[in-house]
Amino acid sequence: MTRKKISIGKTFVAILALAWLVIAGAPFYFMVASAFKEQFEILTTGVFALPKGIYFDNFAGVIKSQFYKYLMNSTFVVAVSLVLILVTALCAAYPFSRFRFKFNKPLFGLVVAAMAVPIHVTLIPVFQLTQKIHLYDTIFALIGPYTAFNLPISVFILTSFMAEIPKELEESAEIDGCGKYRTFFHIIAPLSKPGLATLAIYNAVNMWNEFSFALVLTQSAKSRTLPLSIWEFQGQYNSNIPMIMAVLTLCALPMIVAFAIGQDKLIKGMMAGAVKG
Amino acid sequence: MKKAISKALAAGLAIAMTLSIAACGSAKPSDSSSSTGAAPSSTAADSSAPAGEPVKLTLWHIQTTEPMPTIIKDSMDRFTKDNPNYTVEVSPMQNDAFKTKIAIAASSDQMPDIFPHWSGGPMNTYIDSQKIADLTTYMGENNYKDRFLPAAVNQATYKDKIWAVPVENIAVAMFFYNKDLFAKFNLQVPKTITELEAVCDTLKKNGIIPFSLANKTQWTGSMYYMYLVDRFGGAEAFNAAAQRTGSFENEAFTQAGNKIQEWVKKDYFNKGFNGLDEDSGQSRTLLYSEKAAMTLMGSWFLSTAAGENKEFTEKKIGSFAFPAADGGKGDPNSVVGTVGDNFYSVAANSKDVAGAFKAITYLIDDTAVQKRVEAGRVPPVKGVKVSDPLLQDVLNAVEKAPSVQLWYDQYLPADVAQVHKDTSQAIFGLAKTPEDVNKEMEAAAKKAFGK
Amino acid sequence: MQNTKSLLSYRKRSTAIAATVFLIPVFFFILVFILYPIFNSFWLSLHDWNGISSNKAFSGLDNWKTLVTDVVFYKSFLNNILIVILSIAIQLPIAMALAFLLDSGGKKLNFLKMVYFLPMLMSSVAVGFLFKYTYDPQFGLISAVSTMLGGEGMVDLLGNPKIAIYAVIMVICWQFIPFYMVYFLAALSSLPVEIYEASVIDGATHGQYFWRVALPCMKGSIKSAAVLSLVGSLKYFDLIYVMTQGGPNGATELMATYMYKNAFQTMKMGYGSTVASGMFIVITLISLLTLRALNGKEEA
Repeated sequence: MTRKKISIGKTFVAILALAWLVIAGAPFYFMVASAFKEQFEILTTGVFALPKGIYFDNFAGVIKSQFYKYLMNSTFVVAVSLVLILVTALCAAYPFSRFRFKFNKPLFGLVVAAMAVPIHVTLIPVFQLTQKIHLYDTIFALIGPYTAFNLPISVFILTSFMAEIPKELEESAEIDGCGKYRTFFHIIAPLSKPGLATLAIYNAVNMWNEFSFALVLTQSAKSRTLPLSIWEFQGQYNSNIPMIMAVLTLCALPMIVAFAIGQDKLIKGMMAGAVKG
Repeated sequence: MKKAISKALAAGLAIAMTLSIAACGSAKPSDSSSSTGAAPSSTAADSSAPAGEPVKLTLWHIQTTEPMPTIIKDSMDRFTKDNPNYTVEVSPMQNDAFKTKIAIAASSDQMPDIFPHWSGGPMNTYIDSQKIADLTTYMGENNYKDRFLPAAVNQATYKDKIWAVPVENIAVAMFFYNKDLFAKFNLQVPKTITELEAVCDTLKKNGIIPFSLANKTQWTGSMYYMYLVDRFGGAEAFNAAAQRTGSFENEAFTQAGNKIQEWVKKDYFNKGFNGLDEDSGQSRTLLYSEKAAMTLMGSWFLSTAAGENKEFTEKKIGSFAFPAADGGKGDPNSVVGTVGDNFYSVAANSKDVAGAFKAITYLIDDTAVQKRVEAGRVPPVKGVKVSDPLLQDVLNAVEKAPSVQLWYDQYLPADVAQVHKDTSQAIFGLAKTPEDVNKEMEAAAKKAFGK
Repeated sequence: MQNTKSLLSYRKRSTAIAATVFLIPVFFFILVFILYPIFNSFWLSLHDWNGISSNKAFSGLDNWKTLVTDVVFYKSFLNNILIVILSIAIQLPIAMALAFLLDSGGKKLNFLKMVYFLPMLMSSVAVGFLFKYTYDPQFGLISAVSTMLGGEGMVDLLGNPKIAIYAVIMVICWQFIPFYMVYFLAALSSLPVEIYEASVIDGATHGQYFWRVALPCMKGSIKSAAVLSLVGSLKYFDLIYVMTQGGPNGATELMATYMYKNAFQTMKMGYGSTVASGMFIVITLISLLTLRALNGKEEA
């Protein structure tokens, strides 16, 4: 009886695994395959057909534009913001998850409320602020908003993650004479690695693809990020889909590579957390 | 970490300072030497920089499809070569992105010196908010404005003053059809709506979709609606309603709505049109694959289709004007569209309105006109000769048109335009009756105009 | 007695100081880039402003009165709620199943994990494009499948006001399942190995371990995931904007897209700010109530 149940469960999981492989992989196929097509080809042979031949002009066209410059800009903004987010979130999650103090709940509530803010509300005030501090049309203008808008969710995730680290570890450290700061650096921070890894990926992807702030806070080509280059290829009356797909592929590529490499670290981080925990 | 921030701040400040120093150089009061005898607008009169001082102008535009960005860049290069004290920073951007960005720039008085728009309601809002410089005197100098088609200048005129220069393209909506399919089923180009319906019925019988439409974009379906209103009620019907001497509850609007719903029920349009996106070519695909025979579209269709499918466009595409309504009040020669498409204006707070205007004249000088024609466009200036017969048809249609009705969604104030787009889509979706739509439009117009 | 008291108060004070030190950076960012703009937005909501003009006319609560009776806003809110419910009901179970599969598979499944995560790596613009074609009634994948299965094809998804919202929600789920998958995976991996070993010794199968041991241990993570999904769904914007722009006939309008339309497309910045502020109030209330309900249960 039980055995039958399990095998049903197993089949279900296996089917799901396969189905998801197709569902998740198909768009990627679409993106890459289209990027190798000529503009007219995609409209007549259908979207899901294999490209007739390998057609590199789209990629060449994209790279000829200032792709490298955009890439460097994106990388810089994402890297700096990411470090800021992770450090700040780590600091914030510690007291929220481990301390008992008067304003814990209300302050945490404030952070949760900040998650609810739709970014478009803040566009105009942030734009004006950026001009006041003379950062308009520089990539530095993006660091503040990127950090701020990814912080609430990061703090939230990390707080719930830290809450699941067993209390005993901390208590034994305290008995050993560790203060709050030492406990933080020696016990909590290392144990939070898997949580941080998740956050790093999530935030990096978000910021890599961010569009609205980049659009509003930068103007000239020297300070543009990758997602804006996508829109540069979209015409007013017609759009060259294969060309856009080539841009999208090139934009996604660094993230995919980073994930492929980082994935291993992610697992190691997880293992470390799991064994120590 | 802190170091990174302070570094970033320092770098930012440094850049900002250089910028503000540069700005100081050109912000000195000018000895207005330009020949503005009776300057109508105070901002325009004292805002030209003295000759010789370096001036940096910014230009935004939304021509992102080659060769247009190059044509604009070349124009500005010619301008700065002839006027070496000027530099122009040109920023092309995507249409939707531009709309957001210009709104934010306007709200904080950070507009570029030169920027495009579509005239109509939104332009009037800019004017009423004192964001656009009055160009009447500049357009009048040496009769410069006579270079343009009168209809184009009309479109740039508001409260008896000229606010913009028509530059890009004459674009009117026409039916484009597959000549092969028409020949195959012995169909003639229809002259009346009854004939058009007969054509549709024949096509349907043979398994061909009569009209291809992608109406997520909303302004696409609106074209059918605008033409039907015009053919049933004449140009007067809409003009009276929009200028508040008439009403959107005029029966022409009801007739137009009913006709569309009749066509939808008869399956004259492809299935699922309200979810399809014109901007990604989902309607053109139906034409290319010969599943559909006709589409009502702006004349830019020709260059778009030629870019996507040259052979097909040259061999098979023909065009005809929207047919007449039997017994309708409208003139079958009048067209719906725009005479200029992109109009360029100068920001009211530009440091150098005269210089910016001069730069705009380079956007539409003889070289630029020639290049635009070569790129398949019809610039709104007099005496344009085109070699493409299909394009010549468009030009003929405009020249013999007694009136050119600007697209509703560009003519109306933005909020009424949105109601029009939403409700016309609802008519197509059979979600609302024409009578209800008229009431909604009338209410929105009353609210916007206060009467 | 006296001693313990002062020790306690000392500890309390040192905790408060430590908390302040740790919390200063996060509140710096939130204050400058989130709270200040929100107040600004509330202030704008009291004005009649077209977003362009330099002078904003103070109009008191007029905009708020309009909002309270705005049918479109209610409709948008209900659409948001629909997204919340379906997102939680669809995303979390699938994400959990995938996470458990990857967790029990170990390193062998690295490639699988890579592919599973792809949707998350694509930008919304790309995803929007892709699904516009997948859903195309003439040429799309869905119609092709329907024809293959003997249907009449021509499945109209995005153009049908009754279906469009569900069609978009499916795409939203597709895009976010990978995130929750990784989230749960991290949580599963950090469960102590001893727990797993103990249950294996007790003779439990994989399935039994999952249902009886792992799942209960992950209550906290599941709760957080639900809250994240809730908040994200309530302020959702991207794909609706790319795929339907709120249409057809407002069938997929969301609070955020409605706000955007007002503020940036129809030049009603004042009212747009009102919608934004209203949206902020609604989301904050719902999330706080949810959090309270979840935490209350936990403490009981």
